[in-house]
Amino acid sequence: MMKVTNLRKSYGQGEAKVEVLKGINLEIIKGETLALIGKSGSGKSTLLSLLAGLDKADTGEIFVQGQKISSMSERELTHFRAHHMGIVFQQFHLVSTLTALENVLLPLELLKREGALETARNLLESVGLSHRSHHLPSELSGGESQRVAIARAVAIKPSILFADEPSGNLDEDTGDRVMELLFKMVADTGTTLVLVTHDQDLAKKCSRIIHLEHGSLL
Amino acid sequence: MKFKFFFVKEMKKFPFFFLLLAFTLLLGTMGLVGISIVTGQVQEKLKNNANELLTSDIAVSARRELFPAEQEALSRIFALYPHQRYKIIDIYSMITHIREKATRLVEIRATEEQFPFYGKLTLRSDKFENENLYVSKDLADLWQVKENDDLQIGELVMKVKGVVEDDSSMGLRGFSLAPRIYLPLSKLLQTGLIKPGATGSFAHHFKLKDYTQEKIQNIKSSIYREIKDSAVKITLPEDSSEQTGRVINTLTNFMALSALIGLILSLVGVFYLYQSHLLARLKDLCLLNLHGLTKREIVIGIIAQFSFIFFVVMLIELALIIPLYKILAPLLSNNLGIELNGEVHILSALTEIPFLFGLSLFILVPLLLGLMRTPMGLQLKASKLSMGRFRFWDFLPFIISLWLFSCYLSHSFRTGNLFFGSLLLVFLLSTLVVRGGQLLLRKMISGKGLLLPTIENGIALRGLTRSGHKLTLSFLSLAMGATLISLILQLDRMILKEFALDPKKPSLFIFDIQEEQMEPLTQHAKEIGAPLAYVTPMIRARLEKVNDKKYVKKKRSYDFRSKEEDEDQRFRNNSLNITYRNFLTDSEKIISGHPFPPGGASDDRLPFISLEKRWSERMDLSIGDKLTFDIQGVEFEGVVHNIREVKWTTFYPNFFVTVEPSMIEAAPKTFLAVLPSGPKDTKLMFQRSSVEKFPNISFIDVEELVGKLSGLFIKARQAIEVISWLSLAVGLVILYGLSHDQVYRRYYDLALMKSLGFSATRLRLNLLYEFGALFLSAMSLGLFLGWLMAQVVGKEVFKLSLSVDWGRILYPAGLLTVLCLVTILASSWRAVRARPRELLSDS
Repeated sequence: MMKVTNLRKSYGQGEAKVEVLKGINLEIIKGETLALIGKSGSGKSTLLSLLAGLDKADTGEIFVQGQKISSMSERELTHFRAHHMGIVFQQFHLVSTLTALENVLLPLELLKREGALETARNLLESVGLSHRSHHLPSELSGGESQRVAIARAVAIKPSILFADEPSGNLDEDTGDRVMELLFKMVADTGTTLVLVTHDQDLAKKCSRIIHLEHGSLL
Repeated sequence: MKFKFFFVKEMKKFPFFFLLLAFTLLLGTMGLVGISIVTGQVQEKLKNNANELLTSDIAVSARRELFPAEQEALSRIFALYPHQRYKIIDIYSMITHIREKATRLVEIRATEEQFPFYGKLTLRSDKFENENLYVSKDLADLWQVKENDDLQIGELVMKVKGVVEDDSSMGLRGFSLAPRIYLPLSKLLQTGLIKPGATGSFAHHFKLKDYTQEKIQNIKSSIYREIKDSAVKITLPEDSSEQTGRVINTLTNFMALSALIGLILSLVGVFYLYQSHLLARLKDLCLLNLHGLTKREIVIGIIAQFSFIFFVVMLIELALIIPLYKILAPLLSNNLGIELNGEVHILSALTEIPFLFGLSLFILVPLLLGLMRTPMGLQLKASKLSMGRFRFWDFLPFIISLWLFSCYLSHSFRTGNLFFGSLLLVFLLSTLVVRGGQLLLRKMISGKGLLLPTIENGIALRGLTRSGHKLTLSFLSLAMGATLISLILQLDRMILKEFALDPKKPSLFIFDIQEEQMEPLTQHAKEIGAPLAYVTPMIRARLEKVNDKKYVKKKRSYDFRSKEEDEDQRFRNNSLNITYRNFLTDSEKIISGHPFPPGGASDDRLPFISLEKRWSERMDLSIGDKLTFDIQGVEFEGVVHNIREVKWTTFYPNFFVTVEPSMIEAAPKTFLAVLPSGPKDTKLMFQRSSVEKFPNISFIDVEELVGKLSGLFIKARQAIEVISWLSLAVGLVILYGLSHDQVYRRYYDLALMKSLGFSATRLRLNLLYEFGALFLSAMSLGLFLGWLMAQVVGKEVFKLSLSVDWGRILYPAGLLTVLCLVTILASSWRAVRARPRELLSDS
């Protein structure tokens, strides 16, 4: 599904240069749920940004479904992401001028999928938010926003879903419910999940756990 | 320490915000400060030269020679004060340049020895002497008059002794009806031009040996006591400078109002900038508050910061404008027709700064009150920071001061109210259009997907329907700028069309025709093949009574007068020229009452009178009023029968008062007439031969006069247009700020859309659609409103008919569209490069 070899990434220049990832090698199998854990500053989010094609590595290669995304241009990456990847962020990140329904509709209509509106409605219903479909993000609670974000992330049936501390901004109860929903949705669709977290209990719910420390896998 | 933190550290920490604030203020206030400098210089020049403009300490004049009893009264009064005196007669007449065989209307200034007491006449060579004939530089240039050329003035031929380069008694060059010539008073009497009814001013000038204000005031009171006739005018130096300044003031007042729009737009920007800044800083402010900095101290700190920036901006502005003014002074002198030197007195430049500061500070009041209402302790616990809400009342200090400032700048409650009302109208209409448009769009997209027909468009439409007051603000600032530009361009075209391009305008306006000359002149015109039209009698009269009660002229006051009071004063002069006729010219229309019945007045009733609308309003006269006129000692009574509207720009003989033909026909009179438009040769031949035969008759070349008026108008329009574009530039800077701010606020939206698969091009398209639609609709509304206002002003003020000049709509529309699109692209350039990785938790 995904293969990563000798991935390196550093920020800054000269004496201020910090090597965040120091030669990561990793393989992810289709359908598995992988937890990426580590302390703050260990390089979890940087690794996620490279895997999701949101940033470019200094060296190393990333293959997703046989395609080498590490050498793709910005345009190609954007196109690839739109078709194959879903991302859930810690800060929810919904488009502020679009309603809950329109946020879910956005990736579907971007790909001009047939029956997009119907699919989006069904997804909202499946996350229990059909009654909030015409509300703007500013009118939703944190938990509701994250459920919309999950619905949006799975809308295009991505082959791989990245989640960056999805319950980090939620209280414990809401966080648990949101995570339950996320696991259920990836299980229902057979989507591969890469979850960044520093919550050991949450990580245990994944099929595999990888520890990251000072930019290297343990 | 706390205050130092707020005042200094904040400014060091956010240099970009304070720089942007300073730039916005600089652009917004530049127009007004610049105009204030020019106005101050003109006023000072006029004030310093007041004596030179009048040439004496006091002048007593009338549009007729003073009666012997009046002259005796003057001699009695002045006998108490040692003095010198001379007499000046100014009349308009035709003269002939014998060598060139050409004739033209000139203003003849006939003077006595010792003229002028103050000021001087500078000649090209030699020195001014009262016993010779001199011509002004204007005439010398127009006619190539040289020394020793012969000029025929009435029945007298005189040799030109020299050319007057500069006459300190001339207020504004280029604003007079005709160029001036100077000759001794004794010679004028020999020309035979001083005939009853001749248009002129007969003035007695005095210079006191020991001048004091008190003596002058005593003399003035004595003259008013002894000479009751209101046709006799007393002029002091300050009146003469005030009169000269009126033209420039009108121009600068309108320029100041245009510049005020620039200031308003920049203050909208200031409000917006501060709001964004305070919101971004709210968390820190709450923390500071938690550690002991009171809300009051925070507010004082903000006021101190703003005041500091404002005064720094003013210093920069003066440092920029003063050298610029020095460079532009010769050009300004030429355009305004008054000699301005490059020296700027800082005080004159500072007059409006306190007002500007007050108005600018008032725009921050809602923000400061909002901050005071913010529960700072609770903010730190809230998931999203928000400032206290504004209330309508918070904006009242700004709204009221804006209204007062508009009246102050225009020196007129009417103009100020009209300006303020128009601003409100644009504001209300803009709000209505934005809200209505949003409602309509919402209905259109309701239940539909994002593909409308493209996803970029769909998202843009949603952005438009869901943005709140910020959308209205940006819409408003652009609509106001476009309104102003459109108004000026449309009005300019309409007025020029009316003045310069009307083929029905007469070619000559003829006046001072004596009764006995009427028949031979008409005959002469027929023989030349240029029959006269609209031959109209003109009778000098004075309104004595209204409904049998003595008409009382308003008392003179030298205190500050608004433009309305000023006009009122001039209109209420009860000496005027009237006419009698039984028909209406093409330029007249009865708006209330009925036309005069055919056949003239019958013996069993008083003759009917028709009044011009504006004059009747000023004089508080209406239909049914009985008016009593004094026509050279004989009383004439009539009843107001109708009110007329007159289109004065036609150059036909029109009067405030027209009387039904009756016994008034026997009154002493002169005649006016026009020569309809026709070949130029016929006009020149008729003018030349008529001057030979009837030297006292005067001709105004309408074509030449229209050219001169158009030239003056174009100069004024250019000045106002520069200010308008400056206002629009401010509008665009604010739009840049607004769209930049919007894009910045949506930074994460844009990064998110990128992570979902939007390319930079698609994001840019999305922003272009959203802001482009907003800007284009604001501009369309602005251009339409400007056109509409031009039609209303054109109709109400200039009596112009409705017209559409597409060129003048499409040219600013095209230019503004390009400017707006560039603005959007520039403001969004960085934001569409947003990196999606910044959405992640560790970034």
